[in-house]
Amino acid sequence: MTLVDRFLTTWRRFLRRSPAPPRLGPEEGQRLFTARYRSFRELLTANANTLEAMAELEKALRDGRTLSMTFIRARCTLVTINVYKIVHNLNKIADGRYSELERIFARLQQEIETLLVGNLGRTEGELVLDLERIGRGQADLTGEKMANLGEADTIEGVRIPPGFALTAVATRLFFQRNQLYSQINHLIQQMDIGNLEDLHRKSAAIQELIRACPLPPELESLLFTHFDRLAAARPGCKVAVRSSGLGEDLGQASFAGLYHTELDVDRDTLVAAYKAVLASKYTPRAISYRLAKGFRHEETEMCVGVLVMIEATVSGVCYTRSIGNRGETLDLFCAPGAAQGIVDGTRSTGHLLLERTAPHRIVGRLEARDAMATWLTDAQATMLAETAMRLEHHFGAPQDIEWSIDPAGTLYLLQSRPITANALRPPATDQSSPEDERILLHGDVTGCDGAACGPVFVVRTAADMLRFPKRAVLVVRHPLPEWAPLLKRAAALVAETGSEAGHLATLSREFGLPSLLALPRATEVLTNGDTVTVDADNRAVYRGRIDELLRAPAPRPNPMDGSPVQQVLVSVLKLISPLNLTDPAAPDFHASRCRTLHDITRFCHEKAVVEMFDFGERYRFDQAAARRLQDTLPLEWWVIDLGEGFRPDYDARRREVAIADIACTPMQALWAGMHAVAWAGPPAAGLRTMVSFLFQSALRDSLDPSRTSALREKNYFLISQKYCNLSMRLGYHYAMIEAMLGDRPGDRFITFRFKGGAAGEDQRLRRIDLLTEVLEHFGYRIDRVGDALTARVERESEQLVVDRLKVLGYLTIHTRQLDLVLAETGAQRFFRDRFIQEIGDMLNHE
Amino acid sequence: MSEQTFQLEAALKIHLLLVDDEPEFKEVMQKHLSRMGIRLSVSECCLDALEILAAHSIDVVIMDMNMPGMDGIQCLRKVKERWPLTEVIILTGHASVKSGIAGMESGAFDYCLKPIDVRELIEKVELAAQKALINQEDSAS
Repeated sequence: MTLVDRFLTTWRRFLRRSPAPPRLGPEEGQRLFTARYRSFRELLTANANTLEAMAELEKALRDGRTLSMTFIRARCTLVTINVYKIVHNLNKIADGRYSELERIFARLQQEIETLLVGNLGRTEGELVLDLERIGRGQADLTGEKMANLGEADTIEGVRIPPGFALTAVATRLFFQRNQLYSQINHLIQQMDIGNLEDLHRKSAAIQELIRACPLPPELESLLFTHFDRLAAARPGCKVAVRSSGLGEDLGQASFAGLYHTELDVDRDTLVAAYKAVLASKYTPRAISYRLAKGFRHEETEMCVGVLVMIEATVSGVCYTRSIGNRGETLDLFCAPGAAQGIVDGTRSTGHLLLERTAPHRIVGRLEARDAMATWLTDAQATMLAETAMRLEHHFGAPQDIEWSIDPAGTLYLLQSRPITANALRPPATDQSSPEDERILLHGDVTGCDGAACGPVFVVRTAADMLRFPKRAVLVVRHPLPEWAPLLKRAAALVAETGSEAGHLATLSREFGLPSLLALPRATEVLTNGDTVTVDADNRAVYRGRIDELLRAPAPRPNPMDGSPVQQVLVSVLKLISPLNLTDPAAPDFHASRCRTLHDITRFCHEKAVVEMFDFGERYRFDQAAARRLQDTLPLEWWVIDLGEGFRPDYDARRREVAIADIACTPMQALWAGMHAVAWAGPPAAGLRTMVSFLFQSALRDSLDPSRTSALREKNYFLISQKYCNLSMRLGYHYAMIEAMLGDRPGDRFITFRFKGGAAGEDQRLRRIDLLTEVLEHFGYRIDRVGDALTARVERESEQLVVDRLKVLGYLTIHTRQLDLVLAETGAQRFFRDRFIQEIGDMLNHE
Repeated sequence: MSEQTFQLEAALKIHLLLVDDEPEFKEVMQKHLSRMGIRLSVSECCLDALEILAAHSIDVVIMDMNMPGMDGIQCLRKVKERWPLTEVIILTGHASVKSGIAGMESGAFDYCLKPIDVRELIEKVELAAQKALINQEDSAS
């Protein structure tokens, strides 16, 4: 603090204090004080709720669970509303002297809201665009798929089907005109995402909602104009209506086969097909995929492509770099007719390996050998490889390509997108598969490598999906994208048909789920409930558990890492959770220095406690003023009587009060616990801890025990005859004890709330662990989120509540600064045993 | 001074109005609240609610923000304007910081997210009841 600052502070203080405090009559004073006390209680409740919701958000980020925007939005809303209440109530208590906080809060609230709402993209622009006018620059308007297709059209030698795209602006117009966003959000917020049945029900409701709404007339008219233009050049032509979602551009997320494609659509069915594709954004598989991968529904707006149907003699998929990155080859999958059967995994396919470099020699034919020669000539295969490599070169990364060849032999590109990163992971080092009679099935195609063990569960219908147990081996006939919601729950996937090019195989690689495909009769040979080991590396399924195969499972990728939803959480937490104002005695402990909601919470709590006890100074109102409580411990206690808390013979003119003057039964019980066993002062730390502690103290004087433990810290009791509220400094936050000892069971309770501490996170958590263990041992019910702890006792007998209060009294004294020594090995157990022993003795002794 | 007793007693003394158009939710709440002995009226939209408020002395209102007819915030403002002693708990199916704060600034007592945790809502009803009775006492004195 500079000299000027000091001068200003003193001067301001002088100005503030210069007018004589208003004198209040006893009744007016009591009324004013009661009103403040109510605000104080509301502030304390809001404070506890804020810290709890904050801890939940921090924990969600730390433990890598599936994050949904619904969860983040709900918790952020709770935190914000409670901080609003805190600021509001502090200003009520302090006669509006902290109005500066309202401005800081409003700014933070605005910033949080902006992050949560996100970039909803363009609401202005063209509704429909011809493919030839689309390039990669329009990806935020047409979705990645159509943008890539339009872009590919500019590459020499690449042909795409004629068509057009309905943009994100069109989708938004349709949704907004029909008020679909709010109705859908409403259903999604109330969805129980762990419950597949609920997921199916709400998904059906949302899709029905979309299909039932009319298209805005201007959009419908444009749709028909563009269709008629296509049909004019090709009378009687039919179109494929395909999804092209926004945000599908991350290499980590393929969105493979999650959305709907409607084939053979004519003019009559065009509008229905368009709406069906829009609605497919909300199929159970799409909702659960976005959730598992951390995508926001709002930012994955659906755009739609309308492409003239190609009469295909042969179609397929090409990976410009072989799955598993096996050498310098590319994969070519093909089957007669349209491409749909390959990506659905329902058809048997041919598989060629070609060299990536010209002249693209064929180096392997892996399946359906006999038929393949008649489907695709070697010349066509080479032409495909050439085109594919041109696409890879243009887009700058290995591509996953869908194609068709028409009866005239013309090659059409239907889709080109980057291969998901996991697919290019090198295969696991070969393990020799035990050759024994335990092999139930020996397979064909590895979708994703790895090995896993679990009970078999065959899924044939949607009803089977609802019964699918966690960590079971998912066995299906065809690897259809419909089964995608089960991939997060399953231990492994086995399918009778399919290839690496199928959508479900692609998804299994994204989730790191071992998968085996093209294992005929798998649904007959494998029996529900039997434990099997799926060894995808060696393409075998074994009876029972084979430990040597499971020994080193590859860690599954955390699909949340780097996801848009995780990024939102990280960004909002920066505005919510860091605590910068830690030391109330520091000169920068000031409203203007609050940079996060945690700062505001901490600041307001401190000031509210102080304001409550300054009441007697600000108003000349002797009866309600705080009394200093005499104590042998080096702690400073202040007491305010809310009514009948002092004995009738207490002389109200005194500034001090002795414990014998206190009539409040819960306070007496707490006090007895605090003084039953002598406190040895700050615990003696081992040399290592002490050195680090002294070093930290030198940096941060708030850690200096001579300052934090002694007279500088005030602790406050608010009491009546049967009620006691203690705000006690313990680390960075007040510990809060509220207790009531009434005559009826419902009027007997204890609540203890505490968060954080002064030491590093590890030690802080250890102190919370220690408190939890001891409090649980003595019958407290514990709610704990991260380093926020709430302990409760309710509706117990009077004697029991008194005893529990003594336990709490003991702990508040004896765990002070304990976090500083809990780093020592065995310290936690040592203190736990000692505390339980001493508390037990204390209770028995009486 | 007996805070807890006061809260329980408060909830039993009040007349509560539930404004929501979701039949399932109304049914669940009706069951719980009437089992507790709380006097309850129900309406499906804001306009109905205003009529009930005009005809009866309502202490606490539980109101969904998304209902046909009138915007929830507008409805809340109308209620607080005409019956400032009445406490309003707002419910929403779609959490938003902005609408939550707008609700609090318009005088809501508290904010609850759907799907509702019934225990939590009842705790809030108790606190709102306590506050409403205090409002009435204060305005009488």
